[in-house]
Amino acid sequence: MPLTGTRDLSSIAQSTPLLTSLDTEPWELKGAKHLQLHFELGGDRQALLPPALHPSIPPTLLINVTAVPDSEVGAFTLATVRVGCRAGARPRGLLVRGYCDSTSATKLLRERWGFPVDLAEVCFDAGYASASANVTSNNETILDGDLIDPQPITGADVQYMASLNLARTNWEGNEEAILLQVDPDYTFEHAQRGRPRLNSFKEIEWGLPGASATHPISASLTTVDITLPSLRYLIHPNREPLAAVERLPEQ
Amino acid sequence: MKFGVFFEISVPRPWGPETEYNVYQNCLEQARLADELGFDQAWAVEHHFLEEYSHCSAPEIFLTAIAMQTKQIRVGHGIVTCVPELNNPIRSAERAAVLDLVSGGRLEFGTGRSATWTELGGFGANPDETKKTWDEYVRVIPKMWTQERFSHQGRAFSMPERTILPKPYQKPHPPMWVAVTSVGTEIDAAERGLGSLGLSFGGVSEMAQKISGYRKRIQSCDPVGEFVNEQVNTVSFLYCHEDDEKGIRTGQQMAGTFNYLSEQTLATRQAYPTPSYLSPGLLYQLRQESTSTPEGKVPQGLTIGDPHRVAQAVRNWEEAGVDRINFLLNVHETVPQEDVLASLRLFAREVMPQFAAADEKPAPAGAAAENHA
Repeated sequence: MPLTGTRDLSSIAQSTPLLTSLDTEPWELKGAKHLQLHFELGGDRQALLPPALHPSIPPTLLINVTAVPDSEVGAFTLATVRVGCRAGARPRGLLVRGYCDSTSATKLLRERWGFPVDLAEVCFDAGYASASANVTSNNETILDGDLIDPQPITGADVQYMASLNLARTNWEGNEEAILLQVDPDYTFEHAQRGRPRLNSFKEIEWGLPGASATHPISASLTTVDITLPSLRYLIHPNREPLAAVERLPEQ
Repeated sequence: MKFGVFFEISVPRPWGPETEYNVYQNCLEQARLADELGFDQAWAVEHHFLEEYSHCSAPEIFLTAIAMQTKQIRVGHGIVTCVPELNNPIRSAERAAVLDLVSGGRLEFGTGRSATWTELGGFGANPDETKKTWDEYVRVIPKMWTQERFSHQGRAFSMPERTILPKPYQKPHPPMWVAVTSVGTEIDAAERGLGSLGLSFGGVSEMAQKISGYRKRIQSCDPVGEFVNEQVNTVSFLYCHEDDEKGIRTGQQMAGTFNYLSEQTLATRQAYPTPSYLSPGLLYQLRQESTSTPEGKVPQGLTIGDPHRVAQAVRNWEEAGVDRINFLLNVHETVPQEDVLASLRLFAREVMPQFAAADEKPAPAGAAAENHA
């Protein structure tokens, strides 16, 4: 059996969303700009993941910033940092903390998909020669990174991993930390690939103590329609991988 | 129809001081028995860093050991990763020639380019370049083997004129193959006159389509070597047991474990967006093949079950146009060694004779080559 995580997520779950319902309608976000910076992850590869997940070989760090120009709650920008891993045999990204610059979008993302996001200043600037992202919380820069040397590719070349959002729900009468699988649909309009560069990363602020980006893999910048889906699966983080996935009843 | 064995060398955790040693010794014992039983080829992969899934990072050494412990079985070096950061092409040609010499002309030479970021990233290789470097390697390596003096100015590498030594024992050179996992690679193989080393475990219908295209295209090929190697190999899991249910259950456990382990690695496509890796590759195909049938059904190309069922699966491959099946005998040591050996013996006794007549078909691998042995 491959290695599994050793982390107890319950201690950091208290600040995550408490979902009273897992019945969520899809949400289409048109014309978003999406930046992904992908690095290999240094440090103890089991320490950041719960027992339900395997570290991928090698473990990775995924930084994602999404700028939505308009939506039912207006424009917003969302930044997340995830740990690339495996739920059983499936590639996934564990998300334990993120940031959004819109109060109403933050509320909606927390309540409907369990995104463990808080309000912060999230800046995203996409130009022809580069794309950069900066997140500031409590007057401190907690993330600063960019894509450099972009070159055109097609959307067919891009593959994003589904997220596992750390949240809480009442499961069989008990409040329990869970991982909600969010696997958006993407319709690509433009795509570029470049090299990722990370200038600043405060791993504690992202709920990833000890995480470090050690080796750059790739960066991509896409213009894309994103549909956040209905919830279909959750994972019990403290169960062993083959017993951890629960399919939600059809709503 | 001919039969071979195929080694990934998967090593389960926990890794004690004897674990890798024991797995390697088990594989060598399997190869010796396969040779005694009349199997035609023993292939070994080249993989790096793929924890538990494959610890076969120096296949040329493992294959040398097989060659030294066997008499007849051919040794399949495949695939050799044709990427400069992993293998200098001169060294690949040299190592292969030595293996051919010490084995008495029993080498089959497989080529490919790796499908994982785990491996390519580990060596600092650029995934955009691997298809191009593979193409360059398969064109120059036969020349290194056959020309007395060789020089090259290319994209992947350049070298001034030298005499590359030694030369292979088989003349003009060993049969060459390409690992076919990505869509269209079978046509790449055909256009270059190379054998198709299919790696889609169990996928008969998909393979039949690929073989049809391959056979058609190779008729007008421009061979990169001195001869055309029109042969199609495929790979399947083998677990043959008198009790059909036990055979299926054990075989499916093996296949499921293989897929689970392989998915823990980082596919190039998941990490590095590039048109060079459009297909998810071998690992995805394996998962598809083992999960795409209804519960309780055995995919028609999976050689697991009792001898009757296994023979039917072989016939399915034969009808699809496959010339040889290479069997993966164990995964992650899920099957005790004595059961692996018993499965091999049962297959050789009950199944192999049913296909003996087909051995008289012309053009086995390397038939066009003049073999000294």
